Amino acid sequence: MSLTLMKGSEAIAEAAIRAGARFFFGYPITPQTEIPEYMSARMPEIGGCFLQAESEVAAINMVYGAAGTGARVITSSSSPGVSLKQEGISYMAGAQLPAVILNVMRGGPGLGSIQASQGDYFQAVKGGGNGDYHLLTYAPSSIQEAINIMQFAYDKAEKYRVPCMFLADGVMCQMMEPVEMPPMVEYKATRENKPWAAHGYKPGDAPERRAVINSLFINTEELSVHNDHLQAIYREIEKNEKMWECYNTEDAEIIITAFGTVARIAKTAADILRGKGYKVGVFRPITVWPFPSEELKAAVSGCDAILDVECNEGQMMEDVRLAVGDSKPVHYFGHCGSQIPTTEEIVAEVIKLKEGM
Amino acid sequence: MSKKMFVLIGNYGSGKTELALNFAIAAAARGERTELLDLDMVNTYFRLTEPGRLTRMKEIRIVSPNFSNSSVETLSLPAEVQSAFDMNWDTVVFDVGGDAVGATALGRYREDFMELGDGELEVLNVVNIRRPLAGTVEKIRHLQEEMELHSRLKITGMINNTNLAQMTTPEELRDGYEMIKQVSELTGVPVKYTSGKKKMLDIFLSEGHDPKYIGTPMAIDTYMARDWDSWIQSL
Repeated sequence: MSLTLMKGSEAIAEAAIRAGARFFFGYPITPQTEIPEYMSARMPEIGGCFLQAESEVAAINMVYGAAGTGARVITSSSSPGVSLKQEGISYMAGAQLPAVILNVMRGGPGLGSIQASQGDYFQAVKGGGNGDYHLLTYAPSSIQEAINIMQFAYDKAEKYRVPCMFLADGVMCQMMEPVEMPPMVEYKATRENKPWAAHGYKPGDAPERRAVINSLFINTEELSVHNDHLQAIYREIEKNEKMWECYNTEDAEIIITAFGTVARIAKTAADILRGKGYKVGVFRPITVWPFPSEELKAAVSGCDAILDVECNEGQMMEDVRLAVGDSKPVHYFGHCGSQIPTTEEIVAEVIKLKEGM
Repeated sequence: MSKKMFVLIGNYGSGKTELALNFAIAAAARGERTELLDLDMVNTYFRLTEPGRLTRMKEIRIVSPNFSNSSVETLSLPAEVQSAFDMNWDTVVFDVGGDAVGATALGRYREDFMELGDGELEVLNVVNIRRPLAGTVEKIRHLQEEMELHSRLKITGMINNTNLAQMTTPEELRDGYEMIKQVSELTGVPVKYTSGKKKMLDIFLSEGHDPKYIGTPMAIDTYMARDWDSWIQSL
């Protein structure tokens, strides 16, 4: 096993390339500018395409175009930039185009700050653009996990024909960790593996060789049928693609729910609390859509209370509450904006909660 | 006592900031008047002079880029950098940004560096061969040439600081030693230090490697640890 020390943004960019991504369209924004920087150097080396668009809106529409030809394509941005991309993302969901979109979250609303945040949870999992759609959304908690998920993200996006989102944050992309890189995958779109894609059409070709990539359905009945089809796909994804981690939840009296960077801090806090004699575990959704509701409900069945910890106002807590209903009290700790909850704060919060019981 | 100036340059992610802190804290602990300058204009997200750290290191004078730690980055250096040359320090440590791009920030001070006396200036290339862009002899040599060009300074020594952050084993120092030895033989640039956590360093030193390519062993502490560092997914 050969390990290298890599920055999150470099590693995620390289992992996308190794998963077959050969097109990157994007626009710089802190804290993810290292991703386009890396892509600009790396794509020419492997015969890929790096293009800095004039805006995020342009970039996401380039993603739409490239994905329409069946290519593996990626874009990345941070919160305000991802807001700009929402129209294109909704169009891609409507046109059933697979692609990978990275959101390296920073503080908001508006321009907010450049520091890490988790404030775009709602935007990612409840649909930031218009219409009834979902993105297959992963929230990795380590750089290696992001690399590992990237290896199958395109396969999943293509299997279901949905855009796939990585919900990371500034910390994840800026920190360094030892990682192992997977081998390079050479991907080629063909009429066989992607019959729906635009592979070229010339006069005289059979009409069915035309590929119309579109999200416009003027006939209301057709739109309804199209939406039923999308919903059926989303139910399939919910059935097959949920990912989660239970960390010392079996005998836990208090279970912390957290995702991404905050979840790894929560694990450290849980370890410290175990050392002090408190039975604490962590439930971490890895897919935040589909949210592992039944799995969470099962994991918390024996605990006394849930403490939801996030670097936002408690957006994921809504999904936690939907999952557990009234069966368990759900408390919240966190900060809005960009102040990542610390280990000490989480430890103190759990002790306070336990003492109040 | 003459001034001793350490300029740490090197591959992005090689561990310059951590080493710079170790150099400065060790000097201050010896009772030396110490100044630490953060010249990192490349990686501005996590930097040496984060607010909390400043207050804990009152015995070290710290100079940071304008507006650092305010989430505003103007990428401009304060006039205060001049104090490194004009004031009467025992030890001055420059923590410079990564790669040739980062080393560029030094170019503006060439005249000042040239005025230093013999042996007062050490320009040290911090090498971590576990970083993708410093993973071969050729890459290290190429980077070294580029950094000299951009910094307008001659590199006087190398530091073997090969590490995998929390997952470092003595094998990192061993592999770094072998590769940096080759670079040293080819370029004539000596290995001045080998640095790592004490436990790793002691094991490496007990293995009987040629001291010429070890230089001064330097046991380092970690000052840049963060909340999320402790939880690395097991591979």
